[in-house]
Amino acid sequence: MKISNRTSTTGRRRTTAAVALGAVLALTVTACGDDGSGAGGDKGAEGSGTGKIVFWDNNGGVRTDVWKEIIAAFEKEHPDIDVEYVGIAATEYQSKVDTAIQGGGLPDVGGVGAAMLAGFAAQDALEPLDERLAGSPLDGRLNKDMVESLKAAGGGDGTLYSVPTSANNGVLYYRTDLFDKAGLAEPTTWDAFYEAAGKLTRSGRNEFGYTIRGGAGSIAQALDAMYGQSGITSFWDEGREKTTVNDPRNVEALEKYAALYKKATPAADVNNDFTKMVAQWDSGTIGMVNHNLGSYQDHVKALGADKFRGIPQPTGASGKRVQVSNPVDGLGVFKSSKNKEAAWTFVEFALSRAQNSRFNESAGQVPSHTDAAKDEWISRAEPTKLAAQALNDGSTTIVQLPYYLPDWNTISKADNEPNFQKVLLGKMSAKAFLDTMAKQLDAAQAEWNEHKG
Amino acid sequence: MAQAAAVAKPPAPPRRRRASHAPRGLPYLLIGPALLLMLGFIAYPVLSVFYYSLQDYNPTKPWRNGYAGLGNFVRVFTEDPQFWDTLVFSAQWVFVEVGLQLLFGLALALIVNQTFVGRGIGRALVFSPWAVSGVLTSAIWVLLYNSQTGVSRYLADLGLGEYGTSWLSDPATVFPAAIVADLWRGVPFFAILLLADLQSVPKDLYEAAEVDGASRLQQFRHITLPHLKDAIILSTLLRAVWEFNNVDLLYTLTGGGPAGETTTLPLYIANTSVDAHDFGYASALTTVAFVILLFCSIAYLRLSKFGGEKK
Repeated sequence: MKISNRTSTTGRRRTTAAVALGAVLALTVTACGDDGSGAGGDKGAEGSGTGKIVFWDNNGGVRTDVWKEIIAAFEKEHPDIDVEYVGIAATEYQSKVDTAIQGGGLPDVGGVGAAMLAGFAAQDALEPLDERLAGSPLDGRLNKDMVESLKAAGGGDGTLYSVPTSANNGVLYYRTDLFDKAGLAEPTTWDAFYEAAGKLTRSGRNEFGYTIRGGAGSIAQALDAMYGQSGITSFWDEGREKTTVNDPRNVEALEKYAALYKKATPAADVNNDFTKMVAQWDSGTIGMVNHNLGSYQDHVKALGADKFRGIPQPTGASGKRVQVSNPVDGLGVFKSSKNKEAAWTFVEFALSRAQNSRFNESAGQVPSHTDAAKDEWISRAEPTKLAAQALNDGSTTIVQLPYYLPDWNTISKADNEPNFQKVLLGKMSAKAFLDTMAKQLDAAQAEWNEHKG
Repeated sequence: MAQAAAVAKPPAPPRRRRASHAPRGLPYLLIGPALLLMLGFIAYPVLSVFYYSLQDYNPTKPWRNGYAGLGNFVRVFTEDPQFWDTLVFSAQWVFVEVGLQLLFGLALALIVNQTFVGRGIGRALVFSPWAVSGVLTSAIWVLLYNSQTGVSRYLADLGLGEYGTSWLSDPATVFPAAIVADLWRGVPFFAILLLADLQSVPKDLYEAAEVDGASRLQQFRHITLPHLKDAIILSTLLRAVWEFNNVDLLYTLTGGGPAGETTTLPLYIANTSVDAHDFGYASALTTVAFVILLFCSIAYLRLSKFGGEKK
């Protein structure tokens, strides 16, 4: 009886299986769906200057509290404008904005840092802000280098698409208690850095001199170490056609730096993104870590302010400090906004001295407002103070990374992060890695030059 | 004769009366919303991907966008070694995962199908990982594999292994480590499905087999397995497609690393579209993956004679 029932339901089972399988397979394809409807080109409107605007925070979670404070102050001063805050994790921000550009749903205003600016501008998603800034009380009050940096990152035509809020900078955090105990000198030079990395490592006791970033975001940190040691001060040759990343001095510097892996670092570092790297350092058994100003407060919470220092990157053999540029962060108004006037009012408020100071004190970063940069809190936040000094006193040469290249994110992430892991694991030479990256960069630069005419 | 035939003819079954009050279009009206949703959320995106697979489409380089013909497909098969590497790894991942999940799932289903004290709790424990979301599963295993807080740290404290290591960071151990994490989530799926089918096996078959002197192994081979055949085929097929498309766990655990060792084809597609913005090429990769899955699925169903007559 049972068998006969099964036989009679054969056709139904096949149909059910076909329907289930069809749906599952169809979802395979929909996973890469994209409607390409082009909301990025929407011209938007000035609006009434009142009503509701939507703000997307490009570092949601980490900066949520301070943005909510700023928004509360804004709404108190501008009761006719209502700001809806949407916090988006830094790692998700670009894909969220790209999706909204293509499919619709962009906010009125949002975080637009230098690293993402070229891509958004190329999609015609951002409102030019030069004229608005020229007619604003902020004109002349913002750090000129930061403004120029964002203009340069915006696609090469000198248009300002994002108004700077803050600058970040590479920092070498080191454990003062461990250094004192080992009798080591402050790691202000690369030689001192390598010496400390070796001497602080006792892997059998779970103590390591350094933690290297091998996972997401590894390329910028590796470039910082390379240019810092080699002393090369430009990313391109004089003709701006060939990159210097595979210069023999950079190759040598990378070989030395990558050799730290497993000798002075935990083996697990090869997969570490910044979250894991910072958490690992904060767990308390590692001497040094390279990150930027953004993690300062995390270290204070985990270790206390008296157990570590954050200093600018070490100086090279020539006694000069060379660093690669950290992306300047900023706020942009999206072209599709139907209420650009209110969106700009919010930008102006957020960049006013008081609010810019409030934001950067919380973030531990260098304020873009020149008056805010003189506020008293900066002298208390040592890494920020030292970073601001290093950026302004002429002691540091900044190698400008090509954020303007639409391919920059691809080259510095998807294309080469796995290869950097191969270098760490000894499966690829530093030279082969840098030659591959140089070839991609030269091709991207050539395409860009051709496009710009 | 004719009279006899008329007598022998069974009475015709009573004709079903149609629901006379229901309007003719009502069924279409009722399935309409579902149909519209399927068109909007499945048909349109699917066709959209097929369309973009024939285009150069990168929103950050609009000057290069345009019709590409079969160029993206030529690139997939002739210029992209990463496609072949990730396809081979995906196949390896699917075979090992589905095979082990079926094996352990079947074993657990057979165990919890027995009568024993605490069976309810046992069943709940077996099924509970399936109730945990993918994100939480990933978070649990990230912590377990963490070099400072995870298992390797405590083993190092005991003198087993070195400090600062993680099975996810070593090319020699990352594959089995990821397999174990996904097994934890996938085994209950098979256990649930197979247990449901096991409970419909008539007990008298086992009783008859026992009277005939059949051993437990013979009962399993000749009664249980044939009964489970369709459930096994369908569940392995669905699970294989899901495992092929698995992105969340591997992305969170390893990001496809170290050095691309755990990059599956869907993860590569995700990187190509989300990170590299190369939506045209990613669509071509997706189309190829779809065709491969479709072909393999049909072949599997045919070869396994799914739904066919039992001997």
